[in-house]
Amino acid sequence: MRFELKMPDLATTDSEIRIGRWMVEPGEKVHRGQPLLEVETDKAAMEVESVVSGVLVEIVSQVDDAVSVGDVIAVFEVADTAKSSPMTRSAPEAAPSASDRSAAGTSPPPVESTPRVAEGAKGGMFARKRGAASPAGYDEGVRLTVAERTASKRLQESKQTIPHFYLQTRFKASAILARREATASVKLTWDAFFVRAVARAMGRFDRFRRRLEGDRLVPLATLAVGVAIDHAGELFVIPVVEPADKSVEEISAEIRANVERLRGGDADARMIRPAAMTISNLGVCNVECFLPIINPPETAILGIGKVAPCVVVREDGQLGVEPCGTLALSVDHRVAGGRYAAEFLDAIVRELESA
Amino acid sequence: MLQYSPDFLLDLYARMVRIRHFEESVKFMFLEGALPGTIHQCQGQEATAVGVCSVLRNDDFITSTFRGHGHALAKGLTVEELLCELFGASTGCCKGKGGSMHVGNMAKGMVPGIAIVGGGIPVAAGMALAFKMQKTDRVAVSFFGDGAVAEGAFHEGVNMAAIWNLPAVFVCENNLYGASTHISQVMRDTNIARRVAGGYGIRTEQLDGNDVVAVHEAARAAVEECRAGSGPVFLELLTYRLTGHSRRDPGHYQPKEERAAWSEKDPIPRFAQVLRDRGIADDSVLEAIAQRIASEFDEAVEVARNAPQPTVEDLLTDVFV
Ligand SMILES: Cc1ncc(C[n+]2csc(CCOP(=O)(O)OP(=O)(O)O)c2C)c(N)n1
Ligand SMILES: [Mg+2]
Repeated sequence: MRFELKMPDLATTDSEIRIGRWMVEPGEKVHRGQPLLEVETDKAAMEVESVVSGVLVEIVSQVDDAVSVGDVIAVFEVADTAKSSPMTRSAPEAAPSASDRSAAGTSPPPVESTPRVAEGAKGGMFARKRGAASPAGYDEGVRLTVAERTASKRLQESKQTIPHFYLQTRFKASAILARREATASVKLTWDAFFVRAVARAMGRFDRFRRRLEGDRLVPLATLAVGVAIDHAGELFVIPVVEPADKSVEEISAEIRANVERLRGGDADARMIRPAAMTISNLGVCNVECFLPIINPPETAILGIGKVAPCVVVREDGQLGVEPCGTLALSVDHRVAGGRYAAEFLDAIVRELESA
Repeated sequence: MLQYSPDFLLDLYARMVRIRHFEESVKFMFLEGALPGTIHQCQGQEATAVGVCSVLRNDDFITSTFRGHGHALAKGLTVEELLCELFGASTGCCKGKGGSMHVGNMAKGMVPGIAIVGGGIPVAAGMALAFKMQKTDRVAVSFFGDGAVAEGAFHEGVNMAAIWNLPAVFVCENNLYGASTHISQVMRDTNIARRVAGGYGIRTEQLDGNDVVAVHEAARAAVEECRAGSGPVFLELLTYRLTGHSRRDPGHYQPKEERAAWSEKDPIPRFAQVLRDRGIADDSVLEAIAQRIASEFDEAVEVARNAPQPTVEDLLTDVFV
């Protein structure tokens, strides 16, 4: 008989639960207690065990879907004689008995009791959670996804608890443009240049290679520069580890590969791995300059605006036109003062201009 | 061990299996959405509840916590009255108004579970004071976790019991974690028994809480002392929860190797081995116990599933308004 697996009540609030990964495929046989999928709740990532033994027929909720408690997420075919539901069957696989007690015969005749409990007159918990359908045309508002809620919490905390200050400047982009043209066949990402410039500048600014813990600046074991990525509306940071030792080509390839992994739904690529600082590039979106919020526990973040031809005053006082971009560095004032950060930003500019 | 009858030992075993079977089955019911709220389970800690309650009389009292299913079954509540309670049925041990975190039955010597960490400790001290003033030999036992030791209520309850020699046994189930926090993060000296002995001047004992016979013996000595007027006694039972803090907790903070090592010390297979080694039971006997408990559970599910739910009229009964 058909058995519809519903999302258990695993979240601590009424929030949605995101499907992280399925560990079985349609057609596969599963047993009760076997981990079926990974989900992300408002509080933790966890595995969900099967409540039945049978064959997985259909996966209803796909990876990344946000589902509510009680939603059908998969369909199984279970033997009519199987003691499939704990409502009729209760021998746990983990029971301390010496032999397998899954043999039939110890329980009352199987009844399709789960739906009776969940949807019967008394109403199971899932039934109680569901509100009545809203009237047509009424916009209930858009609920933030689990990831969005996590991100908004972190960012709000950052903005409210880290004393940010901001430094803005311009850099000449001709060296980068020339380098990109020279290697036109591989098409280097812009971000690779910024990652490398930041990493190399960091080499001379010890405070930016540390993290604030209490009233101590502790050194970071590995130096990574993060690249902020907006994937399908969700914010991710791809860390490039020890980029100062890598060529622009290597960094560029690494960023591209990681973006692909993210798009492919690789759960590992979605893990949060803090970097020393992050770069965030909105230049492609025609933004001239913006002041980004620090991504804790990092101590600074670099906002990058668009590169475009600009009027510049040359050393001889003449006007000229050169491709330039803007940079804005947001800094945790507890970690660095204005002058120190200004020199750091200047070092980044010099790295970029000699790309 | 020789002094115990086979029936007594098999009964200890069956009581632990009943708790494990209950917890494992209820877990699946929760995943199916048949139960409201969350549940806090005690897989891996069965020997503490069973060992301690095996020395108690019906008129002795226990207090418990949010993790009370095992304590309740060990104190003599039935699977049926517990299941009905979990289903919110009016036939539950608290008429469906308590739920998983507040199971208890005053007629069977169990105050409904107190979910406030440490909350049961002063209550037990108070009951022990009453028992003493009434000149009975009844004993109050309080079960609580390692997390309760840092609560003010712990100090007040234990101290008061100590200065007045109350017949109270304080049973700390030290499972290394309070929710996700390891004991080493919340106490400098993690030997709780030693701290309590030094701090309150009462007899304390730290022992393997996964050895049901050892727990039984320590509890028997403690209860005898209390009945004789030389309480209180503090027992620190070293154990481990082989499941999340609640059903919504995957327990990622428990290192894999740590969990594996404690699985090896799982009180149930361990005691099964003792029974086999001593020739008290073979696999078929243990199997029969498991079968009996499974069908007892199935029958209780059937009852609970069809039990009446409280009505609107019940809203104002058994509550303070
Ligand atoms: C006074 C109080 N603070 C916090 C909580 C939230 N809480 C519920 S269980 C728990 C952890 C308790 O740990 P422990 O006492 O070791 O018991 P265990 O869960 O390990 O059995 C906490 C902090 C509570 N219920 N009461
Ligand atoms: Mg604990």
